[in-house]
Formats: sequence, structure tokens, C-alpha cells
Amino acid sequence: MNAVEARLDRLRGSAAPRAHNARTISALASNPGCARRAVMDAAGVDKQRVAAHVGHPAPFGQSQFAITRGNAFEAQVKAGGCAQLLRLLRERLRLPIPEVSYANLDDVAGDTSNKVRHARTRALLARAAASGQDAGTLFDHPLLRLRAGGRAVYLEPDLIAFQLRGRFHVVEIKSFAVIDGQADGGKVAAAVIQSAVYVLALRDLLAELGTGPEAVSDEVVLVCPKDFSNEPTAALLDVRKQLTVLRRQLARLDRIEDLLAQIPQAVTFDLEPDAAGVPRRDRRALELAIGAVPARYTPECLETCEMCRFCREEAAGSTAALGRATRDDLGGIDDIGTVLELARGSVPPADHQAEAAAAIRAAARMRGEILGATG
Amino acid sequence: MSVLTALARAQAWQAGRAQPVATVRHVHVAPRPFVFVPLALAGEACAPLAAMAGDDPADPRLLVVAQPRNRTQRFAFAAELGRELLRYIGGFPAGGAGEEGAGAAADRGTAGQGAGEGGEGERAVPPDAPQVWLPNRAGIGFTRLLGRSTRFRRAEGEHAVDPVVPVLGRWLTFLAERSEHPGSCLMLAATEALALHWATGQSPAEDLNLASLIGWIDPPAWTDGREAARAAEDPLAWPPAGPATDPGFDNEVLARLIAACDRAEAGGGEAARAKAALGEALAGQLEPAWRLTWRAIGLLRALPEGGHVAGRWEADRRAFGWHAAHLRDGGPPQPRRDSAVAAARRLDSMERAAASLAVQRALDDPLVMAEHRLAGEALAGRVTAAEPDRVITGPSGRRVLRPLVTVRTHDPVSVEPGTVLAPPGRPNQHARVESVAPLGARGAGMAGASGASGASGASGAGAGAAGETEVVLELSGGMGQRLTPAPGSVPGVGDWVCYATLRDEYQPPAGFPEPEQTPWTHGGPPRPYEPTDEDAREAWS
Amino acid sequence: MAQLAEELERRMEELRAEIRRAVIAGDRARASELRRRLRATDREWEEALARLAAPQAPGGPGPGAGPGPGADAGEPAGRRGGALLTVRERVHQALTLLGAPAAPRLIVAVYEAFYAGELPAARLTSLRRDEERSFRSAPHARPYYLCAALSADLLAPARGLLAVSTWPMERRVIGPLSPRVDYLTAAIGVAERLLATGQPPAAARRLLWRFAVNIPGAASGPAGLDPGQVAAAARAELAVHADADAAHRAAAARRALDQLDSAGQLFGGGGLRLLRGGAAR
Ligand code: SF4
Repeated sequence: MNAVEARLDRLRGSAAPRAHNARTISALASNPGCARRAVMDAAGVDKQRVAAHVGHPAPFGQSQFAITRGNAFEAQVKAGGCAQLLRLLRERLRLPIPEVSYANLDDVAGDTSNKVRHARTRALLARAAASGQDAGTLFDHPLLRLRAGGRAVYLEPDLIAFQLRGRFHVVEIKSFAVIDGQADGGKVAAAVIQSAVYVLALRDLLAELGTGPEAVSDEVVLVCPKDFSNEPTAALLDVRKQLTVLRRQLARLDRIEDLLAQIPQAVTFDLEPDAAGVPRRDRRALELAIGAVPARYTPECLETCEMCRFCREEAAGSTAALGRATRDDLGGIDDIGTVLELARGSVPPADHQAEAAAAIRAAARMRGEILGATG
Repeated sequence: MSVLTALARAQAWQAGRAQPVATVRHVHVAPRPFVFVPLALAGEACAPLAAMAGDDPADPRLLVVAQPRNRTQRFAFAAELGRELLRYIGGFPAGGAGEEGAGAAADRGTAGQGAGEGGEGERAVPPDAPQVWLPNRAGIGFTRLLGRSTRFRRAEGEHAVDPVVPVLGRWLTFLAERSEHPGSCLMLAATEALALHWATGQSPAEDLNLASLIGWIDPPAWTDGREAARAAEDPLAWPPAGPATDPGFDNEVLARLIAACDRAEAGGGEAARAKAALGEALAGQLEPAWRLTWRAIGLLRALPEGGHVAGRWEADRRAFGWHAAHLRDGGPPQPRRDSAVAAARRLDSMERAAASLAVQRALDDPLVMAEHRLAGEALAGRVTAAEPDRVITGPSGRRVLRPLVTVRTHDPVSVEPGTVLAPPGRPNQHARVESVAPLGARGAGMAGASGASGASGASGAGAGAAGETEVVLELSGGMGQRLTPAPGSVPGVGDWVCYATLRDEYQPPAGFPEPEQTPWTHGGPPRPYEPTDEDAREAWS
Repeated sequence: MAQLAEELERRMEELRAEIRRAVIAGDRARASELRRRLRATDREWEEALARLAAPQAPGGPGPGAGPGPGADAGEPAGRRGGALLTVRERVHQALTLLGAPAAPRLIVAVYEAFYAGELPAARLTSLRRDEERSFRSAPHARPYYLCAALSADLLAPARGLLAVSTWPMERRVIGPLSPRVDYLTAAIGVAERLLATGQPPAAARRLLWRFAVNIPGAASGPAGLDPGQVAAAARAELAVHADADAAHRAAAARRALDQLDSAGQLFGGGGLRLLRGGAAR
């Protein structure tokens, strides 16, 4: 174990590391500037439990109805040797008729351990990459591995298709509907970035086997229900941009020691559970530990990070808490108090604030003039 | 967004209460609106779960789908909602375009028409129109999908549905589409309407939560906006205003109750009890949003109406009349997708509406005009000198009245001599900029557009202080026929005035080919949309 | 009517096996009761045969079957032509129609489409385990078992597939092409049963339609659905994969017969060992 890993283990404390998954890795891309998140994720800290212990659990949850629907749709598309999926790939992407070979990698002879499944995935994909003959076409639930922050992360795409225009394609099956050719933009974006994580992991795996990245298409196949029915439809989505973003983020995670160097040695997020697993850590001490790692809160965090409610509280009184646009309109001045003082003209602006201060004062004067009061 | 709104947010945070960003109301608020609060089953494209609907705040109609995946029950829900909405729409002359009684309603419409603007051959503008409120934009999105999944259904044939279902679908589609039209008020989202008038001390993303937004605008007496908004985020106290339900509610409450309904159905007994329990739980989720939406309407109603609101509402009434007539005349349902020409036309019309709305709001509301003043597109200040009786010889040799006024302003002035401005509220008057002279500025010449050069000095603002500008304007028009101005048509010394480059002018639509001349590059002439059998029996699962 | 006769045959086979178990257990009362039921069933069978235009050969396996305790999945449910069909019998019927290993979902769909009865999916979840237990306690006591399909490479039970023990080993192993081949085989089975049925139930036509849309050239629209065309299209695609698949399966079947004991051949060899190894860790 190297020094960085030891340090990360200490940050995490007694808890077992939380594994990354495609969702957490894609979330990295949503607030790249935040050191707190980078450090906590690199250390495998269970952010939700930490946030809950300091009294700010994130209100994240998934409805069982949504989960059931998602699973049912995936099962339906894959039923009968992926009969529906084959039809889509044939009709939309010209998959040749003989290409029907199917391998289920959910388990290996009943063994569902990550190690065994990954080894088998690797063996089958190696065979596929090496030879066109007998190479296999559909790989159901392959288990990939990606190094993120010095740690191996296991990732499970819905499916990988080979022999589709001679390249590997990641296939994601999502149960949100495409209605008259339109789908929820946010959900599509999430699916795209998640698929990009898989593309990255697949390229990593093939690179280890000596196969170049061009073997994996940077277009992924997204399968969704069409209109209000259960009928699947497929679309090819370009993930090149997301790949660039992710690569940069992962490189940053790999340089985690730079971030660690700025944090006091004593900091730990250990919850100090007692024998029964109940956290006993002093709450104030934990708050201080979290506070020791700089954050960069934006309201987008509310959707993507388990620490959001804590960080929002911490960021109260900053213009960032009011949203990026508001902060920009206020000339990037951080503190609401400063903004209001500048508005009143009660403090002289610093040189770099001069222009923003003038605009703020003009705005304040107009508001006062019209509303009959002074801000 | 602008510095003004951003500053208002900062002030709201400090004050613990939302701050106005409008001095007048920019939306029409109907005397008798209809509120629709839908809930959808998670994970499905458009599976209605429950709704509260109606035009009486004290008497909402609760609609419940006991098994949201059951097609028959979905259509039963649509039919029930349809009857409720059509009863409401039918109450407006020209709106009774249902399956029957349309003629009578239309007659009433024409008879009730006073001095209608409709000319020869043109349809009369209905005297009033329905207005439907949803808690938020996501609710309108759900409405659009519900309209899409019902408007192609047929009342006869293999997959026959209640005849009210396709009519509902066409109204919902019309309303949801119209809600994308800038300035239209036939269908409104409460969160958006409120955010147009108040800035809170939180982010726009958090403003999407109606309970928390109202917490900032109108906090309970015992607390402030910050606290009220936080409290509103607790899904147990304030269930989300739909259409998405709280996942915790789904997992802990809803799943059990739906299962109980299923079992009861199969077993025979207990069915009524199970359904009642489900209805009660769903009513508990809906009721807060129902009340909040009505509160939003009340808060907005209390504001004085802006000058151009009635004009925009007239356009809404006209659109309503057209759609009602289209239904009555047996026109086809809205197509799945617009043709190329229709889409371009629609985009053009929305762009023109957006531009006109922006100008109208500024003309109606000094707080909105302030945004334009900050951007240098308008200026306001006090008149320091006036020459109301100035008469000159015009280019044609005629003597004309051309008063001069001198305005001293703090605003960052970026207009140049020769620019023609107009005073809000005097549509016929023009003001040509004669000269622009910064007062006490330090050699910076004319004040820059950003206002930075003038304002970086001392903060005190006396007469002739740094940052002020004197603008001389020559007025023309709107002063009567004679060579002395009509009383009140020229401002006097000491008056507060505003002049802007904005003008609310009618913009003719861009030229589009007639549908039948659509170029082949855009798919050629569209075949008129014929709903197919397939549309009618499309799965809704 | 032919179906009814088949069902009665199976019922009689069951009864015979149970009689032998009762005899071994020394339960005379139960044995004589079972005999009485067997005679009654036998009479029904005779009548059914008599009513058939073309007489059916009464044959069938089961000579080695012995009496024993009642079948575990044997709770009768759903009466059809006087015959009480157990869950395992209903599954057997559906699988026989399909002619290839299938997932529970498809088995249920087929049974409900063609046999106008109910087959609760929940009852299928433990079926394979029950059958294995029954086989291990009294091997080959039943004329057939509902068993696993084995993955060709590891000879482990393939996830979520059920097969019939009386099928040849080649049919019960699953190579990389087999999921598609079995899908096409099932489509042919469904199409042919539709052709043989004068007035096919609407549910059966819908089932065939669901197959047809996924097979190139099988159908142009739900209205023009032609079972003959579906079968022909499925055969055409089948021809593309058949040789390679058969070679795979034959090789795997040879290995299975070589390496696995009789229980292993039905319920999987390596897989179970691995699974136990995994569980012990
Ligand atoms: S919520 Fe906090 S820790 Fe998470 S990304 Fe935002 S600022 Fe960083």
C-alpha cells in the first residue's frame, strides 16, 4: 500500500470503501472543481452516511415503481436471445443476420463474484478482439473494470455488441420513453455520460490486451421504449465530448495527492461506529473535518452529490448558493454581504470589483428609486 | 437574468423574504381559473396516478387510478378528467365545442359578443376564455403527454374509448402548446408566474419547488422565508407538487395500497375499503399543491395589472375561439409532428411574441424598464430645463412644434445624438437626441455603456456629481394639432421622465411559402395530417 | 381432443409412478385408491381415443417408474376436459409445444395462449429445485423431469431456462448461437400449433405476432399475420445458424455425457460445484 492509499484509508476510517459505479463516475463530471467531492470519492467514503450523521442527508431515493419498470423493460428487450434487440440492431444498424451469438456474463457457472465475472468478460472480449471468427456478438452484462483515483472500479454496462460495423458498441437500455422522436433531455444526457464511462472502461480493458481504442465505437446505442408502448426503439449517440470530460476528471482523481497535500493530516471522515455499527463520532468534529476540505457548492450539486445539503448550508450567504447566473451577474463577487455593501456604497470596491460595483450600485439606485426604498 | 434580478436575490436573502422584480402583474389572472394538479406513476412515460382538478378552491375533484398500469382505468381517468375540464370550458361562450351542444354554445358566444373587433368574415373574438393553472412546468409537460396519448383515440371501432377522451386530448394539447407561446396565459405554471414577479433568496433551481417558492414570497408570520423554504423541502410535510411523487411515498405507502387494491379486486371483498384508503393517501399528497396553486393565483391577483396584459389576453381569447371553432367544424387533431412550414411559422410567431412581450413588459413596468436603462437602451431622470413652445421650420417649409427638454440622469447613457427615443405610455411621441453631455466626469468623455467610467469615483451624488449625464431631446408628435402643446403632453421642469429605444411595433410575420409550396429540401408539401387507425389504437402501456 | 388424450396419458403415468411408491411404502389404502383413479382415468382415455378420428398410439415412457409419495408440484389446479393438470404438467405441455429450452415468462405465455388455463409465474420459480430434489431422492422415478439447460462451455445450468429431461442432450445444452436458434425453433413450434388449430385463440395469434416482428420477412402487419409465412421465415434464418449451432451443441453434449453423472446431466455439473464452493467461501 502506498502513502496515498494509506492516507485515503485513514480519511475513510473504519468503514469499508464504497465502490464507484458508472453513476458516481459520471457525477464527477458535474462538479469538476470540487476538492471535497474528489477526496471523499477517492477515499471511498460513504457520503450519504457522513451527510446524515451531520444532520444533512441528501433527499435521494428511487421509487420501486421506476426500478421495476426499468428491470422489466431490460428483461423484455433481452428475452429470447435478445430477440428485440437483434431486430433493432439489424434494422437500424445493419447487423448481419449470422451475427446472433450471445453470451450471458451475469454469472459464471453460478458464480456472481466480480473477480470471476470480470475474468470471464476479459477472456471473451479478448477472443472477440483477436479473431473475427467465432468471436461472439452480444455480451450481456459484461463486467468491466476502470481505474479511478487509484482504485479499481467494476462497471456493468447493459450490453456490449460486437461485429456492429466491425467495432464494439456499448448498448444502454433505459426505460424512459421517446415520444414522437423526443425524449427528456436530462435523462438522455445522463444516459450518454454513463455510457461514456463504459466506453472508457472497455477501451481500458482492450488496451491491456493490446487493442487500440478505435476498436470501441464512440457512438453508443441507446434503447428506449417508443411513444407510450413497450416497443423498443434505438438511437446512436455520440459520446466523444463526454469522453474528454471524463478523462480529464479521472486524471484529476489520479493526482489526488496534490489535493491531499492541502488537507491537514489529522482529518478523517471516520464515523467511529460502535459494536452495533451505530456511528459515535462527535458531530461537531465531523463537521470540522468536512469543512477542512474545500468545496465548491453550486445548486446543481442538489441533483448529483450526497453532500449537497451540508454544502448548501455551509455556502449560505454566498452568491454561489443563488446560482451560477446570479453569481456571474454580480460580477463574481462571492459574498452576499459584500454585494449589499457595495450596493449601498458603504465600502469602496476593490480594484478588480470596480466595474461590477458600478453596475450593482446603478441597479440598487434604480430599485430604490422605483420601489421607494433603499436596498 | 440581470444585475437587477441578481441584486434582488441578494437582497431577498438578506431580508429573509422575496423581493419584487415587477411593480405590476404581467399575466392575466382569470376571475374563475381551473386548477389541475396531476400525479404520475414513477417509471412510466405517462401513467396518470391521481389528480385534483376543478375551478372551486373549496371543492376539488379527486381522480384516482387504482391500478395505474391498467389501460381501462387510464381511459376512465381521462374520461373523468375530460368531463370535468369540458364542463369548465363549456362555461365560456364559444368554448362548448364538445361532442354535442357545440352549436348552442357557439350561438351564445356570438350573441354575447359586444362591440367585437371581428370584421366581416372574421370570427368574433370570444368575450372570455378558460385559464388552466398547474403547479409547475413539469405539470404542463405531463399535460402535453396526456394530450398526446389521448387525442388520436376514437369513440368507435375496435379500441373505442369514451367520446370525451379524444376531445380532452385535443384541448390539453392546445393548452400545453399555447403555454409555450410567450405571453400567453391560457395555461400557466404557478412557479413560473410567481418567479416573473418575485426574486427569492435561493437559486432558480430551488424555485421550481412551489412550496419553497411561496415560503419565500409569503412566509408564515412566525418565521422568515429562509426557514419557510427549508421546511417546504420536507416531503413528509410538503409532498412534491407533482407530477413526480416522492420516492419514499411510493415505496412506503403507495406500493402497499396499490397491492391491496389488486388483491381486493381479485378477492372480491374489501375493494371499496382498499380504494378509499388509496384515495385518501393520494389526496394527502395532492392537497398541499392544490392549496399552494390557489395561493399563487391569489398572490398574483393582488398585483395591479400591467397595461398590455389585456391586449395579450385578447390574443389568447382569439386563439381559444379558433380552436373551439376548429373542433366544432370537425377539424383533425393536432399532428404528431409539425410539418416543416408549420414548424418554421410557429417558431417565427413565438420569436415575434417574445420580442413584443419583452417590450410590452418594459413599457408597463419601470422595474423591467430599469433593465433596459442598465443596458443603455433607455434613460430616466429629471427634467432640468424645458422649452415647450419651441417652433421650427420643418424640411417641407412648414412651421412645426418641436419642444426641447433637458434630462439629467444617473443612468449609463449610450445613445448618441440623432437617435430617436420614445416615452413609454405616449405611443405617438418621439424624442430625438440632440446632445449628450456628461456632468463632472473626469475627462472620460461620454459615459460608457457599462457605466463603469462614471461610477468609479466618489459615492456621494449631488447635483452635477460624477456619473450624471445631461441629455437634450427634441420632441415631436403626440402633442395635438396646434403650435402649442396640448396640456400634459410635454414634461415640465422637475418631472421624472423616461425615454427608451424600445418600441412595441407590429412585426409582420416572416414570409413563408404556402404549405403546398414547401421546397423539397424540407420534405416537400406536407400531406394534410390524417390520423391513422394506428394512431387510434396506439398502445398506452 | 388429441391434447386431451395426451394429458390423460401423462396423468396415468403419474398415477402409475405414485402407485408404485405407495406399494413400496406399504400404504395399501393409498395404493388401492390410486388404482381406482387410474382405472377411471383409463376409461376417460379410452373414450377420448374413441372420439378421435385418427387413433393415437398409446405409447409413452415410464416402464421403470415406481410408486412413491405424491408429486410436490402436484397440487391440481385448473380443470380441463376432466383432467387435473399439475403445474409441472402444464409446464411440460408448453415446453413440448415450443420444442426448445425456454424461460418461465415464455412458458407462461404459451400455456395461457394455447391452453386457456392459468399458469401462475410465481409457481415456476422453485420448480427446477423441486424437480432436482425429487430426482435425487428417487432417480428416474418419473417419466420426465423439468430440468435445466446447460451452458455449453461450463456445463453449468443456464440462467432462467427450463428444459425437459427426455429431450436429447444436444437440445438441452446452450451454445452461443443456441438462444437465437431456440427462439426460432419456438417460433416455428407456435406457428405450427396455430396452423393445426382450426380457430386459434386471439392470445395465441398475439403470441405469434410477438415472434414474427423479430424475424426478418415473417410478417408485414398484424392483420396479415400468416403462421405459414412465420414458420418459413424462421426456418430460413434458422438455416443460417443451424450447422454451426448443431456442431457446438453436439460437442458440448458429448462432454456432458462423458463428464457428468445422471443428475449432473439434468441439473448441471460444474456449476453446482462452483456455486457451492462460492457459498462456502
Ligand atoms: S455537494 Fe459539496 S461535496 Fe458535493 S460536489 Fe457539491 S460542493 Fe462538492
